Amino acid sequence: MKAGLEIHQQLATGKLFCDCPTDLTETATGSVLRRLRATGGENHQVDRAAAFQAARELTFRYEPGPSSCLVELDEEPPHPLNDEALDVALSIALLLEARPLDEVIVMRKIVVDGSNTAGFQRTALVAVDGHLDVGPKRYSIASICLEEDAARKVGEIDHEVRYRLDRLGIPLIEIATGPEITSGAEAREVAAEIGALLRATGRVRRGIGTIREDLNVSIPGGARVELKGIQELRLLPRHAEHEVARQRLLLGVRDGLLARGAQVPSGRISDVTELIPSAGTGALPELVRHGGTVRALSLPGFDGGLRSPAGESERLGRELADYARAAGVRGLFHSDEVPLGPLDAAFADRLRGALGLAPSDAFVLIGARDAATAERALALVRERAAMALEGIPNETRDPLPDGRSRYSRPLPGRDRMYPETDVPPVPIAPSRLERLRASLPERPEIARARVARQHGLPDPIVRQLQQAGDLETFEALAARAHLPAGVARLLTQDLPAAVDIAGEAPVDLALETLDGVLASVEDGRIAKEGIPPVLVQLLRGAPDVPAAIAGAGLAPMSGREDLDALAETIVARNDSVVRSRGVEAFSPLMGDLMREVRGRRDGKEVASALRRALERRLAGPGSAP
Amino acid sequence: MTGPIEGDPWERLRGLAMGQRIEIASADGRTWRGTIVPPHELSGERVIQIKLESGYNVGVRVSPSDRVTVFEAPAPAANGTASRAAPRSTAGAVTSATPTVALLLTGGTIASRVDYRTGGVRPVEEEAEILSFYPDLDRDGPVRVVPVLDRLSEDIVPADWQLLARRVASVFSEGARGVVVAHGTDTLAFTAAALSFLLEELPGPVVLVGAQRSPDRPSSDGFTNLTAAVRVARTAEVGEVLVLMHAGLSDDRFAIHRGTRVRKMHTSRRDAFRSLNGAPVGEVVGDTITFRAEMRAPSGRGVRLDDRLDGGAALLWFQPGLEPTRAEAFAQGLRGLVLAGTGLGHVASVHLPWIRAAVARGTVVVMTSQCLEGAVDPYVYATGRELLRAGVLYAGDMLPETAYVKLLWALARTRDAGAARALFLEDRAGEISPRRDYAEPP
Repeated sequence: MKAGLEIHQQLATGKLFCDCPTDLTETATGSVLRRLRATGGENHQVDRAAAFQAARELTFRYEPGPSSCLVELDEEPPHPLNDEALDVALSIALLLEARPLDEVIVMRKIVVDGSNTAGFQRTALVAVDGHLDVGPKRYSIASICLEEDAARKVGEIDHEVRYRLDRLGIPLIEIATGPEITSGAEAREVAAEIGALLRATGRVRRGIGTIREDLNVSIPGGARVELKGIQELRLLPRHAEHEVARQRLLLGVRDGLLARGAQVPSGRISDVTELIPSAGTGALPELVRHGGTVRALSLPGFDGGLRSPAGESERLGRELADYARAAGVRGLFHSDEVPLGPLDAAFADRLRGALGLAPSDAFVLIGARDAATAERALALVRERAAMALEGIPNETRDPLPDGRSRYSRPLPGRDRMYPETDVPPVPIAPSRLERLRASLPERPEIARARVARQHGLPDPIVRQLQQAGDLETFEALAARAHLPAGVARLLTQDLPAAVDIAGEAPVDLALETLDGVLASVEDGRIAKEGIPPVLVQLLRGAPDVPAAIAGAGLAPMSGREDLDALAETIVARNDSVVRSRGVEAFSPLMGDLMREVRGRRDGKEVASALRRALERRLAGPGSAP
Repeated sequence: MTGPIEGDPWERLRGLAMGQRIEIASADGRTWRGTIVPPHELSGERVIQIKLESGYNVGVRVSPSDRVTVFEAPAPAANGTASRAAPRSTAGAVTSATPTVALLLTGGTIASRVDYRTGGVRPVEEEAEILSFYPDLDRDGPVRVVPVLDRLSEDIVPADWQLLARRVASVFSEGARGVVVAHGTDTLAFTAAALSFLLEELPGPVVLVGAQRSPDRPSSDGFTNLTAAVRVARTAEVGEVLVLMHAGLSDDRFAIHRGTRVRKMHTSRRDAFRSLNGAPVGEVVGDTITFRAEMRAPSGRGVRLDDRLDGGAALLWFQPGLEPTRAEAFAQGLRGLVLAGTGLGHVASVHLPWIRAAVARGTVVVMTSQCLEGAVDPYVYATGRELLRAGVLYAGDMLPETAYVKLLWALARTRDAGAARALFLEDRAGEISPRRDYAEPP
């Protein structure tokens, strides 16, 4: 396979074309309803992807709030390009040894799915021809762009999509690699290294959804397919592998169809509503009873070509259904699924008779509330079926959590780009580049080597810290005389575990807070086992470390007596275990005792207390047989 | 000529046609390949803009040592990956009995597209282009497109109002049921007032409409504004000049304003137009058109047009510190002057001498208020009483811009200042009213 990555990372500056804050918010101060139309650019051409989106005839409800102004609402022209964001993008371009343009021109990229109130996303090419070395291999960086993030989709009912405007206009840097990636694992490595480079600038936003990856995948004889918006690095390999398998399968299906003489479907779409057994059960009879309509399309020579080949999970039928869904229908029925629900063999025969089909032909049925929707859906199915005889269409697909993907729209072409005339072009003066070059951050690989050497940490740990964007925090804490190993453990293990437990929207912990947590361990107020519960309390909003310790139920245990008493209680409570297993009871009881101690004491201390308690019990009067 | 360019390529490059495919290779090894697109007028020195295969435009500073290659014939506009802008639709339900709406084009954002050279918007020149922007325009019935002007509205002059009024009259007499005038929004209210006075009787509505976002943008308000305006022109039982624009920021509600009572009150919002001294006379929500005010019924006798306007009036916005000599010089030679004064209708009392002199010379001096909302009143303060004694004509609740247009109209109908003053105060098109309803501010 050949793959290229596009990394989109939000920058931690103000918005790109206005002066709004960039905080995401649950507050909506109003609601505005809009429609969008596909329009042509400089040469009057309507982009295929844009026309496709517009055909859905959606309405959009936008929710303004404290993080948006008239610019996001498309009620005021954009302000000039945010200089600070451009500086960050140029710095990243220099780090990637790319060549900045002489003049940055803001373009409008037509997107009429409602995610941009204007109907286009503003984007500017900043630099080209960079490269990045990951291990022994050099990857080309084709382009570095600065663009505005889209509005945040918060709901969809029927033909109305709801968006919140807080995210719209947050600057994104888009870094596109060349197609030199040859495996999913490699894609993940490259993405991780680019992520580390971005974070090295200290000017990127952190947290869920602030970095998104698009993966462009093709195989020999296949097509360029863009998997858009993968949010987690660890999913890259799975998506890459699945896409390769899907493309291979579809090439196989094409060969099979051609071998059995399948032809480009040109047949007209027929109204078969009358043929649906209206008394039957299932989606189609239900629809017909409620006044819906059912249309059929014949696919000459496609019989057997729509189902999954043996041992495969993907199939052409699913691809056809995805195209149909883009027209706003729930799905479709096809002849390779017979018998299924209302489509029993007898019904299928009647339908074949009515449509005049040969046994080698397939058919597709689509039900909808109105004829126009059904026909639009089947026209898309016909288009997709014709492509199946050619190979694989170039398209944009939405990644699904299980590693599969779903068709989203055709791959947009150059016709969707035209200049944003409301924003003046920005010349990039050589003096500006010199100023930025003089203050570039340390490159990630250099920072890694330095930190590993300075603090005696193994490279994988340093790499882990860096990829999580925690290297700076690590160095700051280590500089406060905490043990490097302890700091690394806090950042790479305890903190992620605590974030998992604390759940959504965790508070970002200040350096002082982390410093306080480490200090509490070092002066014995809590044991290191107590770190995660204390962090959870802090993430949930505990005002300071002492409050978090109290909130976690880790009020200090005074002296050895308390611990011994607790150990005695545990041993007494488990008398039967102690009697049957003797000193072997140590292991099961240690777990119980650690739970009771809840991190207030060091594990070694707890173990010796338990040993003492066991010995006393086994030696005592009640223990003799 | 194709192939490499010898020597400094800049002059040759500047002369190449838009759409020409070229390659620029610089000494430092970077290469750009793409088609030439119009440069932005704010582009830097020796910068050429080319469109890359990715669709991005880039600005390339051309140095004398760059090697430039010009390729074969310009690439054709269509590249096969896209469809033409939607063609004009053929409406199935329309019969020959469906009344025709005439759409008069004057330029402005609603009938403009981006000019990629200047970076601004420019008016469309042909009928086909406007129909390519608004393919659904004639969905409910025939629309006759009549180009009249192609000007941004800041360039429109009173002679254009007269031309437009004559065109409105002629399309009505040629059978139009209603008329829509697509107009730039900056001075749309002036034109609306002028048509209100010049077209004395109308057999159907004349609806002025504009857009705050150009139609080359998917989010343009032009699409919905125009559709609603055509609907009003086709069906409303009204013989008046109206303005239709967004009622709020949403694309589903439209306000109908009286042509003499409306003003652009925001530089960029879709709902920039507001009726002052009263609510909009009507609204369009979905397919429903509602009029709240009493409207003049269509005339049964066709159009009555009197297109005379006098050029000798002007509008002056008073401000603290305005020197009387400057104002006097401005008023020199005018037959009429509208003052936009402060509050209830005042200017600094140092202006009284030249105003007295101007009135004595036969100039009609009219007082309106910068407050826009409310009526002027000369009796409350001493300055007002002085101005009244000086012969200043108080214009009630007439908007300053409407008063300016109306003065051009009145002066054209009489040489006598006294008669012009009387004509000016007569309510002709709902522009002046003796009472103002109580209403909460919007």
